[in-house]
Amino acid sequence: MFALKGNRMTPTALTLGLLLALFGTREALAGDTSGTMRVGDMQFGNALDPRGWTPMLQPSDPDGMSYLHAGMLRTPTGALYPYPPMVDPGKPLGQGDWTYAGVLEFGYLHVGGDRNAEYFRQYADWRSGAVLGLLALDFENRKTGAYAEFRGDHLSGDDQFYRLRAGRYGSYRIEGFYRDMPHTVSTNAYPIWNGVGTTDLTLPARLVAGASTPAQVAAVSATVPRRTIGLNRTREGLSYEGVLYRDWIGSAAITNEKRTGTRLWGGSMFFNYPFPDNGGALETVRPVDFRTTDINLSVRNVGKIWHFLATYNGSFFRNHKDHLNFESPFALYNVAGTPQVADIKNGQSSLEPDNDYHNLRLDLSRELKWSGQLTLAGAWGTMRQNDALLPPTTCTGTGGVFIAPTADYTFPCANWNTTAALSQRSAHARIDTGLFDARVTFHPTPVFGWHAGLRWYREDNKTRYLSYNPLTGQYGFISENGSQGSIVPGETGIFDPNNPLYRSANIPVRNVPFSYTDSQLELGADWQLGRKTSLGVTYTYDQNQPKYRERKRVDDQRIKFDWVNRDVVGATVRLSWEYAKRDGGKYNYDPFVPFYSESLPGFVTPAIGLPAYTVADMRKYDLSNRTESKARVIVTYPWGDSATLSTTFYGNRDHYDALIGRQSTSTTGATVQWDWQPTPATTMNAYLGVEGSHMGISNINDADNSDNGNAYGRIGQANPHLGGPLYPYANQWWEFDRESNRNAGLSVSHAIGRARVDLSYNYTGSFGHVGYNYATIGALAYRDAAGVAAASSGFPDNKYRTNTLDLGLSFRVNSNVGVRLYGRYETGAFSDWHYAGLNNTLSYDHRLYTDKGGQLHYSVSVVGVMLSLKL
Amino acid sequence: MRVISLVYTALLSVMLGAGGILLSSHSAQAQQAAATNASTAAVEHGASSGLSQSDIAKMLPATDMGANAARQNNPHLPSVSDSLATPFDAASIPVNPLAPNADAIGAKTCVACHAQENLQASHSLHVASFRAGAANRGPQAACETCHGPGSDHAKQPTAPGSIIAFTHDAKTSPQEQAGVCLSCHAGGARQHWIGSIHQNRGLSCTDCHNPMARLSPEGVLAKSSIDEVCATCHQDIRAKFNRRSHMPLPEGQMACTDCHNPHGSITKPLLKTDTVNETCYSCHAEKRGPFLFEHAPVRANCLNCHDVHGSNQQTLLVAPIPMLCQQCHTMTLHPNDLQTPAGLGTGPHPDERLIGRGCLTCHTNIHGSNHPSGSKLHE
Repeated sequence: MFALKGNRMTPTALTLGLLLALFGTREALAGDTSGTMRVGDMQFGNALDPRGWTPMLQPSDPDGMSYLHAGMLRTPTGALYPYPPMVDPGKPLGQGDWTYAGVLEFGYLHVGGDRNAEYFRQYADWRSGAVLGLLALDFENRKTGAYAEFRGDHLSGDDQFYRLRAGRYGSYRIEGFYRDMPHTVSTNAYPIWNGVGTTDLTLPARLVAGASTPAQVAAVSATVPRRTIGLNRTREGLSYEGVLYRDWIGSAAITNEKRTGTRLWGGSMFFNYPFPDNGGALETVRPVDFRTTDINLSVRNVGKIWHFLATYNGSFFRNHKDHLNFESPFALYNVAGTPQVADIKNGQSSLEPDNDYHNLRLDLSRELKWSGQLTLAGAWGTMRQNDALLPPTTCTGTGGVFIAPTADYTFPCANWNTTAALSQRSAHARIDTGLFDARVTFHPTPVFGWHAGLRWYREDNKTRYLSYNPLTGQYGFISENGSQGSIVPGETGIFDPNNPLYRSANIPVRNVPFSYTDSQLELGADWQLGRKTSLGVTYTYDQNQPKYRERKRVDDQRIKFDWVNRDVVGATVRLSWEYAKRDGGKYNYDPFVPFYSESLPGFVTPAIGLPAYTVADMRKYDLSNRTESKARVIVTYPWGDSATLSTTFYGNRDHYDALIGRQSTSTTGATVQWDWQPTPATTMNAYLGVEGSHMGISNINDADNSDNGNAYGRIGQANPHLGGPLYPYANQWWEFDRESNRNAGLSVSHAIGRARVDLSYNYTGSFGHVGYNYATIGALAYRDAAGVAAASSGFPDNKYRTNTLDLGLSFRVNSNVGVRLYGRYETGAFSDWHYAGLNNTLSYDHRLYTDKGGQLHYSVSVVGVMLSLKL
Repeated sequence: MRVISLVYTALLSVMLGAGGILLSSHSAQAQQAAATNASTAAVEHGASSGLSQSDIAKMLPATDMGANAARQNNPHLPSVSDSLATPFDAASIPVNPLAPNADAIGAKTCVACHAQENLQASHSLHVASFRAGAANRGPQAACETCHGPGSDHAKQPTAPGSIIAFTHDAKTSPQEQAGVCLSCHAGGARQHWIGSIHQNRGLSCTDCHNPMARLSPEGVLAKSSIDEVCATCHQDIRAKFNRRSHMPLPEGQMACTDCHNPHGSITKPLLKTDTVNETCYSCHAEKRGPFLFEHAPVRANCLNCHDVHGSNQQTLLVAPIPMLCQQCHTMTLHPNDLQTPAGLGTGPHPDERLIGRGCLTCHTNIHGSNHPSGSKLHE
C-alpha cells in the first residue's frame, strides 16, 4: 500500500499527515518517546564535537549536588555521577511564562598537514574555514510544559545537522531534522576512466577498449590525477508523537535519505593469473545514487495490566543507477582455436535493485500473579523487488571460441544481449518473514524467579528464477559478459541438451532461494542470595532449519551462568560464563545439485564424472559442529570518595569440528579505566585496553595442475574425499590470523577561575599477522622456485596506529561571552599487504587497480578559535 | 546429547530453585514481600505511622499537600481535591517496602533540607516536565512520586531505607528502583525490559539515567552523552570503534542506541528490530534485496562476515581477504589455493585473488546480484 513510484509524493503526503495529526493533539500523557524503538538518528554531532552539545554543558556547580554531603553520589553499580552543571535558569521571553536559553559557538578552523589522510577524514569533513560549532536555542514554558528546541552545527556543507523539536511535556512532540554525513572511502584513488560517478565508465582517448597493451594502460594509470572516493548521506526527517485518544499514544515518523557519491567496485573480464597477457581484473568505481524513505508508525496503550504496542515499519529503497558499464582496455585471446573471433571489451555489473519493505508487529504484555509477566510478540514482514532485469550480456557481434566446425563454441551476442533472452523480464523477488515470540516470567518469592521463552522466526524466500533463453532454447547465461567463454572454449555459461558441446556443461541454472526457520526455547532461573548477590542460569535450545544449505537442521544448546555481587571488597562484580555446543543433521557438502544443469533433462555426465564441487570434509562455519565458551567479568570499584576504577576481563574460545574450514577462534582482552573527580573543577580519566584474537582455518588445494599430482580433467576428479586423488593430503594447508589491539587514553579537564583546560590523548594500535603452514608445496598457488621462496617469507604484518592529542582552552570573558581555542594533532601509520606495491604501480599485466590504500604515515593538525555567545 | 542436556538442565534448574527457596531466610522474604507490589500499588493514604502532620509541621516547613491554594488564583484551572498527594497523571506514590507505613509529606517539606537537589532537579528535564504537568493538575508530590512517602525519612533522615533511593548505597533493590520508574515509563520502548539482559544483570534505570540533574542536555543521562553512558560498562566495545574500519560513532554521527535498545528487546543483543539483518538494512537498505542470486551467509546473518563494532580489516570484515572467503570456499579450481606473499603486488606472481579487494575484484556483487548472468556474483 505504500509502494512508491519515484519516491517523490509520499514524503509530502506524510508531512501533511503529520501536521494534521498535530492539530488533532489532545492533552494527555505521553510517558516518553519511542526514539529507542527506531533505528537511527539518535545522535547528532560531528568530529569536532562528537556529543553534539558540548558547548551547552555549563561549568560544574561548585556546590555540587547537595549541601548535605560532599562529593557526588554514585550509580547503583558504583560509578560516580559527574558534578552537576551550574543551573542556567534561562531568560524571560516577553511578559509570559516562556523562558529561553541559547548558545552560539562559531569560529574558524585551520587544517594543516596531511589533511586528506584517509583515516583522518573517514567520517569527518575537516576543512579550513568558518565553522558553526553549535547553535542551540531552547524555549520553555515552565507553566504549561511547552517547549521548542533547535540545535545545529556546520563543519562543512557535507558535515552538518539542524534539528528542531517542539511539543509539550507529557503531551506530544514533533521533530524535524536535516543532516549531512560524509563517508570517505579513499583519498588515494586513481581511476583511469572517464565518467566516474555515472553508470558508464569509458576509457580515456589514449586507450582503446579491448586493444590496449598493459604498458599503455600502466602509462595512463601513472598519470591520472588523484581522486577521493566517497559518498555523502543527506537525511531529513519528520516525526510526531502524542496522544491519539485517551491512553492511546501514537507516533509517526518519516525519514528520507539521499546517498550520493562513489565507491570502489570490481570489474571482471576473466582470470589473469592463469593466463598471462589475457583476461582482465579491474578495480572500477561505481556510482552511489540512492534514495531511501522510511516510514514508522506506532500506537500503544499502557494500562495497569496490559501493555499493547503495534508498529509498522516501511522502507522504500530506490537506486537511480541500477547498473555499471565499463570499458576494459585489455585484449582477450582464446587459449585454443584460431583465429580469435570474439571482440569482448566491455563489462557490466548490475547494481542494487529498488526494494520495498513492510513490517507489521504487535507486542502485548500482561502482568501476572507472582510478580509475573507474559509478553507476546508477533510480526509479519515482506521485502520485495521487481526491477526490470538487464540482458544477460552487452556484447555485440560474436562471442566465444571457434576451433573447428565440429568444435564451434561461438555464440551470436544478438541472441543474448536482449531481454528477450530471459525467461522472465523482471525479478519478482520476494522474501517474507514471520515472527512469534513469547516469554513468561515469574518471581513467586523475592528470592527466586524463573522464566521461559519461545521464539519462532521464519524467512521464506519466494524468488524463483530459471536461466533459460527462449530465443535459443538453451539454459544458462553469458559468464563475465562473454569474456570467459571467449578465452576458454565451452566456458560460456551455457547448457544445451541438444548440443554435444554443451550437454555436459554443469552450470548454475536456477537461483537458490535460501531460507530458514529458527526456533528457540529458553528456560532460566535466578536466585537472590542475600541482599547484594544474585545468581542466574539460563538454558537455550536453538534449532535452525536452513533450506538449500549443507545441513537441514542445526541444533545449538547453550547454558549460561551469571553472578552479580554488589559488595566484593566494596566493588560491584558482574560475572558471566556460558558454554554452547552445536551439532545437527547430516552434512551434505553439495546441496546445490538441483540448481545446476546436471539436474536438467538431457544432461550427459562425462565419462570420468563431474569434478567434485568441493571437498567433502569441508564444514562451513555457520553450520558446523562447534563448542563455545565465553566468560566476562566487569568490576566497578568505588575508589575512595572521588574515584572509580573499573575493569573488564573477557574471552571466548570456539572450536569447530572441521578438518577443512574454520577450525578455531579465540579472543582474550582486558580493559582498565580510572575516573577521578576530586572537585567540581577537576576531572581526570585514564584507560588502557588490550585484546588479542586468533582465527584458524584449514583448506586444501585441489590437484588442478600437471605439476601437482592428479590434474583436473583426469580420472579421479569426481572424488570429493580428503586424501583422494583430487584432494590429496599433500595439498592441505592451514592459515591463521592473529591480531592484537592496544588502546590507551588520558583526559584531563581543569577549571581555574574563568578558564578551563581540556586535554586528552588517545592511542590506538592494531597489529595483524597472517601466518600459514602447508603439507607440501602442492598447497601453494605458485609452486615455482620464486613462488616457493616467496611463500617461505610470510606475509608482512598489518598495522593501524593513531595518536591523537586534543587541547582545548576556554576562557569566559564575562557571563555571556567566551572564547575557546581548539587544537588537535594526529599522527597515523598504516600498512596492509593487500596494497603492497600499489604505491609504485597500479597496473600488473591485465590487472588494473584504482586505490592505493590508506596513507602509510600521516600527521595532521587542526587549530581553531571559537567565539561562544550565550544568547 | 540434546536430550541429555535438556533433561540435565531442567533438573539442575529445579534443584537450584528448590535449594534457593529453602535456603532463603524467612526474614528476607518478609522484608521483600511488599516489594512485589511496589511498582503498581498506589499508597493508601491513611495515617498509619503515628506521625501526624502536626509532628512534621513542628520539625519542617508546612507541607504543600493541601496546596489547592496554588490553583485558587487561577480561575481557568478546575478545582482538584485536597487529597494528600495528586500524582502527575498516572504516576502514583509507590510503597517503600522498607518503610511501608510512611506517609507522603509533600515536596515543600523535602526541599527544606534538599535545597540544592531541588535547584538541580528543577532544571532537569525530568522534574521540570513533571512539575509542568502537575501545575495544571494539583499540588506537587514530585519528590515522593519517585522516592516514596517521606515521613519516616523526615523523622529519621539518616536511617537507611527510609525512602526509596537510587544510588550506590541505597537499601532499595535495583528491581524496586526500576519498578518505580516503570510505573510511569512502562510500555513502548521499555515493553521488554523484564527479562532483558540489563534487567537480569541487576542494572537500575539510574545506572544510565540521572533525573536529578541536567548532566546531559537530552535523555536525562547519567553522563554527558549516550556513548559515554554505554562505555561505563562496555569499554571493550567502545574501544573497537577506534579500529581502522568502524561505524561513525567516535565522529559523533551515531550512537549505540541507533541499533540497540538498552531498555530491552526480543533479541539477546537488544537490537531494535527482529533480526541482525533487519537492523543493518535499516541504514543499508540497498543490501536488503531480495536479489535474484543470493549469497547464503549474507542472507543468513551480516555478522558472518562483518564485525559491526570495528575491525582491523577493510569494511568491517572479520578476517582478511581471501582468508575470509576461504573459510567456506574450498571449491575445485581457483578458490582453494594457498595464497602467499608470492601473489602480492611486490611478489613474483601478482595475483588478483590477493591484491587490493582480492576476491571482491571479480565477485564484486558479494551481497547478491540482480544480473541474469550474476549467479557467481560477478555481475
